[in-house]
Order: sequence, then C-alpha cells, then structure tokens
Amino acid sequence: MTALPHTAVNPDQLLYPYWAEITQIKPETEGVGSIWLRFEDPAIRESYRFLPGQFNMLYLPGYGEAAISISSDPQDTKGMVGHTIRFVGNVTKAISRLKAGDVIGLRGPFGSAWPMDEIEGRDVVIASGGIGLAPLRPAIYHILHNRQKYGKVLLIYGARTPKDLLYPYEYEQWRAGGIDVQITVDRADETWDGQVGVVPMLFYRFRLDHQKSVVLTCGPEIMIRFVIYEGLARRIPAERIYVSLERNMKCGQGSCGHCQIGPYFICKDGPVFRFDALEKFFNVEEY
Amino acid sequence: MAADPEVVSALKNIPWFAELKPEHFNRMAEAATMRHVRAGEELFKEGDKEDCFYVVIEGRVALDIFVPHRGKVRIYTAEPMDLIGWSVATPVVRHRTASATVVQAGRLVGFEAEKIRQMSEEDHDFGYIFMRRIANIIAGRLMVTRLQLLDMFAEPNAETRHAQ
Amino acid sequence: MLNNPTINSTISLPKTEFDTLLAALRELGYQTIGPRVRDESIIYTHIEKLSDLPQGYTSKQGPATFRLVKSNHRRYFDVIPGAQSWKQFLFPPRTHLFTVEKVERWDIQPNAEKPPRYAFIGVRGCELAAIEIQDRAFLRADFHDPVYRARREGLFILAVNCLHPAGTCFCASMGTGPKVQGGYDLCLTELEDTFLIEIGSELGRDVISRCQYEPASGFLQSAAAKGLERAAGDMGRHLSLDDLPSLLTDNLELEHWDEVGKRCLSCANCTQVCPTCFCWDATDHTDLLAHSTRRERVWDSCFNPQYSYVFGGNTRPTIKSRYRQWLTHKLGAWKEQYDTFGCTGCGRCITWCPVGIDLTEEIAALRKEAQA
Repeated sequence: MTALPHTAVNPDQLLYPYWAEITQIKPETEGVGSIWLRFEDPAIRESYRFLPGQFNMLYLPGYGEAAISISSDPQDTKGMVGHTIRFVGNVTKAISRLKAGDVIGLRGPFGSAWPMDEIEGRDVVIASGGIGLAPLRPAIYHILHNRQKYGKVLLIYGARTPKDLLYPYEYEQWRAGGIDVQITVDRADETWDGQVGVVPMLFYRFRLDHQKSVVLTCGPEIMIRFVIYEGLARRIPAERIYVSLERNMKCGQGSCGHCQIGPYFICKDGPVFRFDALEKFFNVEEY
Repeated sequence: MAADPEVVSALKNIPWFAELKPEHFNRMAEAATMRHVRAGEELFKEGDKEDCFYVVIEGRVALDIFVPHRGKVRIYTAEPMDLIGWSVATPVVRHRTASATVVQAGRLVGFEAEKIRQMSEEDHDFGYIFMRRIANIIAGRLMVTRLQLLDMFAEPNAETRHAQ
Repeated sequence: MLNNPTINSTISLPKTEFDTLLAALRELGYQTIGPRVRDESIIYTHIEKLSDLPQGYTSKQGPATFRLVKSNHRRYFDVIPGAQSWKQFLFPPRTHLFTVEKVERWDIQPNAEKPPRYAFIGVRGCELAAIEIQDRAFLRADFHDPVYRARREGLFILAVNCLHPAGTCFCASMGTGPKVQGGYDLCLTELEDTFLIEIGSELGRDVISRCQYEPASGFLQSAAAKGLERAAGDMGRHLSLDDLPSLLTDNLELEHWDEVGKRCLSCANCTQVCPTCFCWDATDHTDLLAHSTRRERVWDSCFNPQYSYVFGGNTRPTIKSRYRQWLTHKLGAWKEQYDTFGCTGCGRCITWCPVGIDLTEEIAALRKEAQA
C-alpha cells in the first residue's frame, strides 16, 4: 500500500492525554456540535500540528474516550483545534453537557491524512454525507489556502434533510474561494428549493475528466460504496479514490486491535485509505 | 415542420443528443418545444394525463407527492441534462405520479411523447438508443430511491443489529 | 565443578542443584515463576524450589478436554501446561494505567509502581515463540507499550525443551518446537537424573556459574537429541501451512464459515488462553463523587460483541463473522502485519474451547471447500 501522509505518534505515549480547555461549544445541527479546544500547556499549544483527515481521542475522565476527527483549519490554528461531534455515545453525550471553560483530555493526532500534496494539479471531487463532511473540512480549508495548486474542485455534499446540513454558513465562502459546492438532501418539503437526491447521484450531473480527477469521500459506509461505484463507472481508477473509514478506534496506535479490517489497523494505517488497498474485502459482509 | 433553432442549439449541448445520428436528432428536435419557465410555475400535477416528457436545459424542477397530514413531500429534483416524465416512453400513458414544480427559473425542452414512440416503433435502431437513454435515467432514479429508502443518515435502531 | 561456562555451551546440572539455581535468581532480584498443580490443573505462579514443580504429572489433552494425570515417572517438566500462559505476566489481564484526580483541574498521576522482575521457569518452545510474537505487537519501532516493555526488559527466561507433547500440540507444524528455537537465557532438557542446560546469554552464564554443575557428556547430549526427535513425531495435531495465509485471506466467503459459526459460542475462551492474542480495552473506574478516576487496561477479545461496536451497531454482529475475524487474523492477516503467524501451535484454543472447535480441522475443512 502506498503510504499516505502521517504525523509521528510519540512512541512512548500509551494513554496519557494532554489537557485542553473548551473555548467554545457551537451547536451545529440536531445532536451535532463543534467544540473548540485550547491546550493548557503552552508548549503543546505551540507544537501541536495535524493533517487534514486525522483524528484525536477525546477523553472525559469517568466516561472514557471517543475518536473524533479534526474539523478545523490545519494551517490557521490560533493554538486551537476544532472537532465536530455527533452526540450519540456515552462519552460524546457527556461531552455535550460540558461548557466553555471545562477541561477534557486529548490524545493525538492519529492516523493517515488526505493526500493533499500528491493530488496537486488534479481535479478534486469531494463526496461526503452527513457528519462525514467534518474530516473533509480541513482538506477544504487546505484547498482554499492553496487554490491555484488544484484543478477544478467539486464538493458534493448530502444530508438527510435541509436542517441536517453541516456548516451551511460557510458554503458561500467556499464558493467564493473557487469550489463548486453542490448540496443535496435525501428528503425535503416544498420550502426547500435546493436539490433533492443522494450524493452518488450527483456524479450523473458533472462531466468529470477521468484522467485528471481524484475522489475523496467520507460518510455513511453505504454512501461511500455507492460513491465508489459511480467513480469507477466513470473510469476514475481505484488508485485515485480515497476513502475515510470508521471503525472502533480506541488506542490510536494500532495496538489494541479493535479497529482492524483485514491487515489494517484503521487508527494507524487509516482512517484514510486509497481504495485499491481495500478493494479485496470492501464488499465482504460483516468483515 | 422545421425545428426551433433555440431547441436545436440547446439540445446540441447535451452529450446524449449530440451523439445521435443527424436524422434522429432532427426528428427529435422537430417534436420538441422550448419552454421558458419561472420559479413557482407548475409544470404538471399529480394525476394529470399529459403525453410529454421534458429535458431540463437550465433551472431546477422539483417532483413532489402530496401526502395527507404531511403536505408535499419533495422526492427528487431534476437538474440540467436530467429528464422528467420518463414513464411516457412506455406505451401506456399513465397519470402523473408526482407534481412537477419549477423551483429555479430556466428553460426546458418538452417533447411530444407520441411522436417519439412512433419513431421508436418505425425505426428500432433509434428506439434502442432512446430506450437505452431512458434505462440510464431510470437506473439513476432507482439508485436515488433505494438510497432514500435505506435512510442512510437515520439514527440506527440500536436493537436490531447490536449484539448477539 | 568447571570454571567459566561459556555462552552457547551445554552443561549438566544435577537435579539437586536446581534449588541453588532458583535461589541465585532470587538473589539477583527475580521473582521465580513456574508451573504448579492447583485445582486439578497447572497454573503459572511463584515457585521457590524444585519440589514445587508438578513432578510425575502429565496432561491428557484433546478438544475441550484437559486431564491432569499422575504417572510413575519422576520428571518435573513433562506436563504440557493448562489454560494459563506467560502472557499474564508481561501483558497483565488488568493493569492500572493512571489515576485522574479532580481538585481545581484534572490532575493525572501515572501508575508509578515498578513492575517485578520475573524469571520464567519452564518456558516451552511454543511459549517462547509466543512471547516473541507479542514483542512484535507491543515493541514496534513506532510504538513501545510501556507496560509490556517494563516487564519484558527485566525478564529472565529458563526455557524447556519439550519431550512429551500433548494431544492438541502442533508446534512442529508451526516451527516453534519441540526444541526451543533461541531467545532464552538458559534452556533445559530434562533427563532422568539430570538437567542438561544450554547457556543462551551472559545473564544465564552468570546464574549457572553460581551452581555446582558438571560437564555434559556426549551420551547425555545424544539422549536429549533423541528425545527431541521422538517428540517431534509425537504431535497430537498437524497443520499444513502451504497455502496460508492466502487460503484464509482470499476465501472470506466460504460456506464453512457459516458451519463453524453455528458451533462457536463466541465465549472468547480461545482468545483468553491464546499466548499471542494482544487485544485490549481501557476502562474508567470512578468514585461516586466523580473526583477520582482510575483508568485501567484489560484484555479484550474479538469475540466480544462490543469489540467491533461503532455508532449504529456492531460491524461483526454474527458469531460467524467474529470467528472468521479471529482465524483470518491468526493465520492470515497477522502475517502481513507482523511477518509471522499469530499461532505457535500450543493447542490451547483447542483444549479450552468448550465445544471442542479445532482450528487444525477447521483449516483443513476450509481448504477442502476452497479447492473443491
């Protein structure tokens, strides 16, 4: 497998977190919010860097840890790191009850990143659904900072209903920065004048140059599968389709075993994979 | 009857039409009319029986189904290059199963379905190409419908596939 | 007595001198751990003297069967061990990682307890190979598990060549035994009246030099070699590795997975007794005021439904999928991850499976279906 970009993990750090203060909790959609963290230790604040697509383990003592992808701008950190969280599990529900000024633990960043350097010069299709936009937002920021380095950039994003769309307040800015932002929802009523349909359907609507295009995708696994089918059907090879997968990440270091799929530890070898690395078992049920 | 030049230039920009033999292209263009539509305009209503289909050139057309107690449910939107009203390609002229409303002003090309069906019967080569296009439209529509049916963003039911 | 035993040389240690060896290890600061009879089985625990060992015992093992048998022989190391492996000392089933106290802010106190220095007495070839497999998982270049490393680095290993394999053994197939393949401080072969000991390290040499030992005659050495040759032919099980790992990794959808999935109870016994299984979880234990939280690491298993839980459900909801994960990891994906199989042929998963699932038979059945 071709190596995707990583950042080095402290080889001696097992489960000791850094402490970080919540500077802001921003409600996003129903059951989803973004929390902004600022490390207590000024040295960490200074040195902490992440790549688009990586995740952190957030720790709330007494509740445990949750793997949360980083959704903020990797370049313009201002000493802070943002995470968009769906408040669904024990840990994330407890995090949702915190307020600005509270402190939580953080380990990371972990995992592989979107291949932002390798795909320079290409047309980029970012296909995402639901909260799957969160780990792609740092890639969007990276493209906006370096817009001239990429060809056409198309973001196709879908959610269940209009009120489930993440970051709607940023779309205009993204469009102004040279990204074709296409939004669709699964279901709506007559007050919605945007698109109704599903993310893979949007592949029908754009003439993609299969020689030049790469696909970055994250969302529900079923959506990812259909995005891949549509990408392959348009002759975009598996080597130029990148997916971010979700499994039960716990240690972040490829040690505890939980997030394995085939020979990979998703937390260490992923979460971002080039699709040809997964092709062999991606459609095996319950693997 | 000569084709409307606006129709001809609009259709030439659509890959599928551009690939047709000139003879087939011309006959289709002759069966077509350009419609300039404004937002809010109703193209057809559920239950109507009209024998035509539309290709969207610009703008956006929504398909809604009225459900008692829920109001209009928007099930699909057609974008440029999309086709709506495809069921008239079959010999049975059905009632419209959804209402079509323009949500973004634009232009549509409407086709007299009877003429296209006749062309298909007389010239199976054309009929094959036309039906292949319709099959592609249906495949896309069915994919959308299946994924909507799966409700892939819904909160999963914790009881169903949890533990064993 | 001879002077200056050298590394890689073999000496003969009279059985009466074994207690001196144990005492020498304790003097050097080691806790001596070895096999002992308890509750009709063999466990690994503290031993002080040779007589603590299970003299005269053997074990009768088969699928879902373990019986300790008292025989007439006088040997100490003939019993193939029970469910326990050395894993429990290097990768403890429960480890205190740190405690978080909330005063004004969260304050973290790492577990500062110094781990004991262990001397393992009686590590078999398959077991030493298992330790080396776990080394690859816990002591990677890019990640050193501090818990494991602290215990592993201080470890003394007295290995034992296996002369009487049990019914579920297949170390010869896996290339890990019955002769120990290296990685020890001392390696012992038990003959009727003496222990033949090969010196594998400077530390081992130091320990032996504190005992009254004798030269190992050619006769004794050839007796040991003959015993090992016989043992290699006495394996209760055999596993062909020819088409592994691809037999498993390329055949994820065979019908036999469903068949074995019906028998497996998903009880996780096999992963708990397996000396190479390394999966773990971390859990928090909090006082009622939520002011103090103790974070612990515990063994986990790919057979536990919570193991592959992600929001929305378990990605391996059926027992079939979990058994397939286990076996395709052990003898499949493990090879790609760590350049070794995750199995040493110790046979514990066969013996301790309550329904007697035998991986050597399952592999054979999968092979038969794949080749059909």
